Amino acid sequence: MKVNTIEILNLNDKQLVELSRKSVLSLSLVEMKEVQKYFRNIKRNPTDVELETIAQTWSEHCKHKTLTGNIEYTEEKGGKKKVTKYKNLLKETIFNATMKLNKDWCISVFKDNAGVIDFDKTNGVAFKVETHNHPSALEPYGGSATGIGGVIRDILGVGLGAKPLANTDVFCFGLPDTKASEVPEGMHHPKRIAKGVVSGVRDYGNRMGIPTVNGGVFFDKGYMANPLVYCGTMGIIPKNKSEKEVKPGDLVLVVGGRTGRDGIHGATFSSVELDKESDVSAVQIGNPIVEKKVLDTMLKARDLNLYRAVTDCGAGGLSSAAGELGEKTGLVIDLQTVPLKYKGLAPWEIWISEAQERMVFAVPPKNKNKILNLFKKENVEATFIGKFTNDGKLLLKYGKEIVADMEMSFLHGGVPKPTRKAVWKQKQIKKQSPVKVSAKTLQEDIKKVLADINVCSRDWIIRQYDHEVQGQTVVKPLQGSSIENSGPQDAAVIWPYTVVKGTKKGVVLSNGINPEYGKIDTYKMTASSIEEAMRNAVCVGANPEKISLLDNFCWGNPNKPEILGSLVRAAQAAYDLSLGYSVPFISGKDSLYNEYTIDGKTYSIPPAFLVSSMSVIEDVNKTITMDLKNAGNSIYLIGITKNELGASVYSKVKNFKNGIVPDLDVAVSKKTMKTIFNAINEGLLESCHDCSEGGFITAISEMAFAGDKGVNINADAIKTSEKMTIAETLFSESNTRFIVEVSPENVAKFEKLFKGIAVSKIGEVSDDKFLKLESKKSKISVKENIKNLQKAWQKTLQW
Amino acid sequence: MIFEIEIKTKKGFVDPQGLHTVSDISGIGIKDITDVSYVAVYRISGNITNKQADTIAKELLSDKITEDYTVKQYKSLEDKKLEKNSIEVWYKHGVTDTVSESVVKAIKDLGIKEDLVVKTGKKYCLKGKNIDDKKLKKIATGLLANTLIQEYLTK
Repeated sequence: MKVNTIEILNLNDKQLVELSRKSVLSLSLVEMKEVQKYFRNIKRNPTDVELETIAQTWSEHCKHKTLTGNIEYTEEKGGKKKVTKYKNLLKETIFNATMKLNKDWCISVFKDNAGVIDFDKTNGVAFKVETHNHPSALEPYGGSATGIGGVIRDILGVGLGAKPLANTDVFCFGLPDTKASEVPEGMHHPKRIAKGVVSGVRDYGNRMGIPTVNGGVFFDKGYMANPLVYCGTMGIIPKNKSEKEVKPGDLVLVVGGRTGRDGIHGATFSSVELDKESDVSAVQIGNPIVEKKVLDTMLKARDLNLYRAVTDCGAGGLSSAAGELGEKTGLVIDLQTVPLKYKGLAPWEIWISEAQERMVFAVPPKNKNKILNLFKKENVEATFIGKFTNDGKLLLKYGKEIVADMEMSFLHGGVPKPTRKAVWKQKQIKKQSPVKVSAKTLQEDIKKVLADINVCSRDWIIRQYDHEVQGQTVVKPLQGSSIENSGPQDAAVIWPYTVVKGTKKGVVLSNGINPEYGKIDTYKMTASSIEEAMRNAVCVGANPEKISLLDNFCWGNPNKPEILGSLVRAAQAAYDLSLGYSVPFISGKDSLYNEYTIDGKTYSIPPAFLVSSMSVIEDVNKTITMDLKNAGNSIYLIGITKNELGASVYSKVKNFKNGIVPDLDVAVSKKTMKTIFNAINEGLLESCHDCSEGGFITAISEMAFAGDKGVNINADAIKTSEKMTIAETLFSESNTRFIVEVSPENVAKFEKLFKGIAVSKIGEVSDDKFLKLESKKSKISVKENIKNLQKAWQKTLQW
Repeated sequence: MIFEIEIKTKKGFVDPQGLHTVSDISGIGIKDITDVSYVAVYRISGNITNKQADTIAKELLSDKITEDYTVKQYKSLEDKKLEKNSIEVWYKHGVTDTVSESVVKAIKDLGIKEDLVVKTGKKYCLKGKNIDDKKLKKIATGLLANTLIQEYLTK
């Protein structure tokens, strides 16, 4: 097989840029010059294998050059400019907060394929969330399937391998009613993307036998040709298997799927904008059956201590996986020994292919036969392809021919760090004009908000997923009094009793995302998303002091100072909130360059910061759900309602301009959430639901129809920060608000416990199945059958 | 020899994929397609007998209770004639076809040891008013085939 030598030593700047573009290397001129310098020093031109290896290793996807690079950030506020210089944004913000907090229950943070925290004395739980945006834009089914397949492998590749217990998925799609004529040529219609993505996650997740238990969907025209597909997996791992160590002399074993031309340039492709000519070979196709066999067998091998390290083949393929494992030692690989799907692959293609379902292991030579036999017995293909050395070199052979010979120190430490400019200018934000409505309009508005595409039921998606497989999902994505009556549950709870015999403990998974707020201020968006993820977890009974977070940035082109500025603000918010709440981030990922160019015009996605949360609870018996339980119980709204309708669902429905995006008082939030946790722990609450998109009235409607109960609400009892109209009060999206249901015998204890916290007793649960709302001050009275509210909520997304 | 085994839902049973396709076609603005019948197609190339092809269709690829199968045989694909008002979708050469990999393995498990090449395809048979090539192509490219990884045939 032919290996080409690439002329680089004598190229000028223009030619270097052209070489990078033509070969889809996605390397900047500065980076190409660094590569040129390295090869000038060793007095030869690189081979195609070497150049491709550098491009993969230095890709945005693998090295996170923007978040770990130099940034000069200028903030313009009130006519004044303030400049802050970051040498490594990630280390100085999110990671720094985690280090400062130094929680003893964090086992492995930001260093492996997933974050790991304590479950009990002997086990940890691992969580990772990844994105697969560009592949899903091109081939929605295959792109999302390999997205979930990839993140499952991250969990298999953390430490010596965790057993996956649950999946999560969060999507951002374009508007499904977009006219076909508005969709750019060569791109798929947003509805087709949405359907394909859901099917891909469904088929892969269901076939792997892992329940998909938590998620969310956000629709906005900004994601028309560039959807966001976040996939997450949580797993359980014995603590004594949570570290890996490669030793020189260990053998390199590749296990699972064969290597083909799938996903060539996937990693470097993630650093380019999409256009109609985007590369065909960037598409990967998944095979969950192969991955399931790998999963089952490798966990047996793990428990028999047959290997010392493992990682998954993700972006960059073998190049990244073997390269990362051998970074500290060095390695030699014979590419001719890698099992192929078909003949004809060039050595560089074998090395960087992103063919799916492959894991790479470091195996002590004494276990060579044992591990091969184990995989063979279970019909899983396993092949030794090389050895870890102690010379700090990457040596690749194809049979007898040497096709790459480079220093690991250059590959992993040689990427230059240019300084990027980032700018943020404070916008003038005004309150909206007072929103006045009649009783009739209000009644219609409640249904319109429930039917809004970003509020309505996701049961069409949720019910395609198996969220029960493994039999450990004790709080499910939809909860209610029956299949017909269900509402959106804030968080999922997994009780891993089949793995940890006799345990009462559970794992709570939740998320928070709201790109709408980010259109105005990414700091507030990030803060609200963090609180939303925590609120959701607290609603089922999680301890807010024991929550761990994952960050996922999806942004546009960071070479544009305004876009990078909005990203810096989000990172600052994550740092501030992490320290403020004393909750660490344990893992994260970024996906940048989410832009697409059609006919010369560039479209950028609205920035999206997904926060995923995981926490361990002591007793799953104490968890509660969001549906109302019994007539006669009191309903309280916890928290203050402020005039915060900026970027709210109601502002979109009523099409009014201006409005304040919800702010956050961390001290109040922290105290409130801790008290709710205590109340749930003491068994004082029957149900709990947070107020988010659509505000209080949406949340109470969901609780009512999920429980098949009526509610009587005194809207005048809602505590507000200022004089507000009834519509502003009911639809405000202020943070730190929860609706709770308390039975008569617990009212006194409840009110005592919440002394010092803003609590409004706003009504009670009834048996008459009507939502009845009164405001004497506004002279408004609304009576609506909860079945009509439920219908409005369910009808929008039934494809 | 090339065999194409077609599997479709028996009369009297619901064809969910067909029904969804009718609804999806309407969703892309084509309102006069009234019925779609979905057919899973397995193309098997290799040295097997008609009886073996029939065994594969009957024992492996179809559900005896809810599905019917048809085995078609060609010396060359040039002999194949497409059904009127139908769209066939196939993976392009080189694209991983995971179902076909499983079928190859399952055929071996049936005791048929010949080396075979299997490709999987989907056929949609449409009924309705004013079906012409332009409309079929619009349905194929707008809904049924992702031309990045799949090719389609219409008649």
